[in-house]
Amino acid sequence: MSKPIFKLVDELPTDNLTVRALQSLDFVVPGQWENIVGFENTIRQVTGETDQDMIQQIGDRAVWLYNDKSQGYQRAMWLYQTVDRSDQALASAALANKVGEKISLLGFLNRVTPKADQAQTIDLSLKLVVELVGYCQINGLPGDSISDFTNSLYEEYSGVSKMRMAALVCFDGLIPLGPDFIQRAQSLLESTNPKDLEHNSTYKQISNLIPGDSTSSQLDFIGSSFDSVKGWMGEFVSSRNLTPDKVSNNLQQFIEFSDSKLDYLAAFIDLSTNYYEHTGTQTLAQSLIERALAEI
Amino acid sequence: MMSRWRKLLASLVLVGLLLVSSCAREAPSRFEGAQQESTQRGAEAVAKEAVAGSSLNKFFPAAGKGEQLVYTQEKKGFAEAKLKQQDQDLARMSIADITINPSAAQKYRKSTEKVAGYPAVGQGKTGTGVLVSDRFQVKVLSRDSSFSDLDRIAWLEKFDLDGLSKLQ
Repeated sequence: MSKPIFKLVDELPTDNLTVRALQSLDFVVPGQWENIVGFENTIRQVTGETDQDMIQQIGDRAVWLYNDKSQGYQRAMWLYQTVDRSDQALASAALANKVGEKISLLGFLNRVTPKADQAQTIDLSLKLVVELVGYCQINGLPGDSISDFTNSLYEEYSGVSKMRMAALVCFDGLIPLGPDFIQRAQSLLESTNPKDLEHNSTYKQISNLIPGDSTSSQLDFIGSSFDSVKGWMGEFVSSRNLTPDKVSNNLQQFIEFSDSKLDYLAAFIDLSTNYYEHTGTQTLAQSLIERALAEI
Repeated sequence: MMSRWRKLLASLVLVGLLLVSSCAREAPSRFEGAQQESTQRGAEAVAKEAVAGSSLNKFFPAAGKGEQLVYTQEKKGFAEAKLKQQDQDLARMSIADITINPSAAQKYRKSTEKVAGYPAVGQGKTGTGVLVSDRFQVKVLSRDSSFSDLDRIAWLEKFDLDGLSKLQ
C-alpha cells in the first residue's frame, strides 16, 4: 500500500540539497516558492483556516480523496516520484548529508559519469510529459490534453508549479545542454528512435502512463509535448536572460561546490536532488486540500 | 554515599532511556482514522453514481466585465473554477456532488439562512455554501481580502441553482 498523503507531506525536508537548489532559483521566479512542509501546516497555509475542527475535516476529506484511486491523485504522485527516482539509486546516502559542506564535483565523479546528451534530452522530455500527465490527472482532464496544459502554463502556472518548471528549464535544460538547449534537445529528440527510448530507465518505468499504444506512438506524443512547450520555455529563458553561468553562480551561493564544469554539475544535481518529487508533492497536496475544503 | 550516587545515576539513565524511547515512537497522526477507513476494501470518496464534473460547468455564473472565470478542476462529482481580476485570484467557486459524503450536508440542517431559496451556511473564515436538492453543495471561497461574505452570497445567487436542482 502506498504511503498516506499526510505522511508524504510531513516528511518533506525543510533543508537539504533539493531545498537549497530550489532556493537558488528564487532569482528566476522571485517570491513564487516557499518551502511549505507538513500536512497540517499546508492546510493552514492553503485555506487560511485555524479552527481545529475545520482542519480535521479538511485533512480527513483530503485523505479520502487521495486514497480513492479513481481520482487520479496517487497516479500523479507516483509519476512525480518515479521520474526523479530512477537515477537516485546511484546517489550515495553520503551525498544527502552534504548540506553546508564544500562538495568536490570531481571527487563525486569517481562514482558517476555525466549523461550523454541524448539521455539527458530524453530525461528532459520525460519530465515535461510527466508534468503534462500529472497536471491532467490532478485537474481531471484527459491525459492527452496538450493544449489545455500549454494554456495553463502561460496563464495559470504559479507558486510551486512555476518553481518546478523553472527547475526543469535550469537544471535539466540549461546546465546539462547549454544555452541553446531547446534547439539541441529538439534535434536530438528527432533523431531518437523507439529503441533508444526503450533503453531509457525512466521510460521503462512510466511508459504505461504515457499516452500512445506503442513505443513509436509514445515517442510521437513525447515529441508533440516538447514541441508545444518549447515556445514557452524559449520565452521563459529569454525574458529573464537566463544562462547556464547565471544559474550555476546562483547555485554556488546555496550549495558550495568546487570546479564548475557544467556537465559534472548537471550529473551532481541529477543524483543528489529530487526536485520533481518534492515540488510535485507540494503541488498535489495544495490542490487536494483546495478540493477538500470545497467538499466538506 | 556511593550507593546513593549509584541510585541517582541509575535513575537518571532510566529517565534518559524512557525519554529516548518515547521520542522514537511517533505519535499517531490525527488523520490516521481517515486513512484506515478510506483504505478499507470497497471504500470510495466519490460515489459511482456521481455526475460527471463536465455536466456541472454549465451551472456556474458568467464572469463580469474585467473578470475571468477559469475552470481549474473537473472530476467525477466535482467542478471548480477560480474568479480572477487581472492577475489577482479573488475567489474559488465549486459544485460538489456529495451523495456519499453526507456529513457535508449536516451543517445545512441547522441553518435558517437561505440564498435564492436554498439553505445556506457560512463556513470557516472564507467560505459560504448552499445545498441544492440535498445533493449538490455549491461553495464560494474568498481568496482575496477584498472579496467579502456579501460578495460570496452575491456570487452564489448568480449560479443557476434552479437548473442544478433538476440535474439527475
